[in-house]
Amino acid sequence: METVLSIDRLSKKYGKIQAVKTLSLEVQKGQIFGLLGPNGSGKTTTLSVILDLVKADNGSFQWFGSTPSKESRKRIGSVIESPNFFPYLNPVKNLEIVAEIKGLDYSDIKRVLTLTGLFERKKSKFKTFSFGMKQRLAIASALLGHPEILILDEPTNGLDPQGIAHIRELILKIAGEGTTIILASHLLDEVQKICSHVAVLNKGTKLFDGEVSEVLAISNSFELSSSSMEELQKAIRNFPGYKSHTSTVNLINVSFNKEVKPEDLNEFCFRHGIILTHLSERKRSLEQHFLELLQENQ
Amino acid sequence: MKKLLKIELKKILSYKIFWILFGLYFIFLILGLLMAEFMINNMIDNMNKQIPLLLPHVNIYFFPDVWQNIAFFATIRYVLIFPAIVIIILITNEFTFKTIRQGVINGMSKLEFLCSKLYIIILSSIIITFFLGIGSLIIGLSHTSGTTLEMVFEKIPFLLGFFITILTFQIYAFFFGFIFRNTGLSIALFTLYTLIIEPIVYYFLKSPLVFKNNISPYLPVNSALRITEYPAIPVLKKIMGLNLQDGISFTTSVIPLLYAAIMIGIVFWVIEKKDL
Repeated sequence: METVLSIDRLSKKYGKIQAVKTLSLEVQKGQIFGLLGPNGSGKTTTLSVILDLVKADNGSFQWFGSTPSKESRKRIGSVIESPNFFPYLNPVKNLEIVAEIKGLDYSDIKRVLTLTGLFERKKSKFKTFSFGMKQRLAIASALLGHPEILILDEPTNGLDPQGIAHIRELILKIAGEGTTIILASHLLDEVQKICSHVAVLNKGTKLFDGEVSEVLAISNSFELSSSSMEELQKAIRNFPGYKSHTSTVNLINVSFNKEVKPEDLNEFCFRHGIILTHLSERKRSLEQHFLELLQENQ
Repeated sequence: MKKLLKIELKKILSYKIFWILFGLYFIFLILGLLMAEFMINNMIDNMNKQIPLLLPHVNIYFFPDVWQNIAFFATIRYVLIFPAIVIIILITNEFTFKTIRQGVINGMSKLEFLCSKLYIIILSSIIITFFLGIGSLIIGLSHTSGTTLEMVFEKIPFLLGFFITILTFQIYAFFFGFIFRNTGLSIALFTLYTLIIEPIVYYFLKSPLVFKNNISPYLPVNSALRITEYPAIPVLKKIMGLNLQDGISFTTSVIPLLYAAIMIGIVFWVIEKKDL
């Protein structure tokens, strides 16, 4: 594994507001890394720091294992916040400026405009674009010259459902080519659908990070049913790691503090003389996990 | 440097407002320069009605004085703020459109960004000076008969003086643009300072009650205008008490350049320090 980005104990304050607090992260080559958090959780600040727009108060970061420089930024394609272009220039001229800065030739402009569906509008001024088109131009600009890393801050913001699906497809396609992607989003669904890894941020602090599949796999909630519901309710309290349960007439919903395998649960009930008539594992969605994490840290 | 200039020219050449403002500047400049003689003679005619001793009409467009006279009228502060405002717009646009952020994200350093704007300032100063030089030459040739080459170019150093004035004036504008970042605010403060605040401070400092030595000529804008302080029109000495000036002086020319250097330094320091 090759670490492309490592952030070490980064902190940034805006006046009294702690935007990012001792944040450490590592992104490996080839990952689709999701930065997930509600609005104001420090996602954009973090991205602004690692792109040298904002100076951190404390901490450091490295791109490709070395001190960041303008040369390292040329290997990264980024969409941060709003699409920033010259309103009076057409997309081709705007992208020519980007190409000049990055030291690329103009031949790639046609490809990225076609890829983002803007080629037919290549002669229109940027200011005549709809928000969705502006956003797509920002993505086109980030894709210019096949960067090794793509940083996308809320890339589907302001797009219609068709546009969202198109951009997500595009991201997965680019990731398939081996590009590392860092995606900031407040949409869990988006992270769940696109990302391989995720870090959850709240109020500038990292609550959790790991593989998305790992987050989804922690199953510690079960639906149980038995002919003798009362005994089941009594017995289940003694299961190691028991947290709480809720019950309806013929179903109880039990959650545990740690990972529990369904076969262990079944065996436990059987040992206590209870025959289960229903046992179903409730996989928590990332959303539930996310909300729980936020709640625990309130 | 070539790359940065290429990027800047891409931004400017398709920018309609730039062409409109620069076009207006050249129109006003040409009209102003051509009307200067007419207006002075008009003033003399009015005075002649009141005094018994008749003053002769002036001719300000002959060699070698044409260099000095045109440099003088082209560096009147009301005319100079035109290209300076264009520079402010070009700089503050980058903050309004957030394209300075995008430039840095894409791999420009802040230093390169500032340099690219300074290159444009130098280039535009060269272009304006070049056109003014060509203009002076044409006007001079059409108003002087029987010239020698020596006579034609005798006062050409005034063209260099004009270059220094317009260059430093645009660097002052660069300073306002980068410090205030907002187009309207920067233009308002720059105009206010140049046309109102500094002239007031100038007369205040001139009073011997304030300082024993008069330091008012060394104010930033005034020191830039002082390179060509007086036109070569002797009769104006009688009318308005304007002195005569033979050439441009080295010390006078260095002062505004020093101000410009300090302002560039401050901008570099602030931009490095402040978030974009």
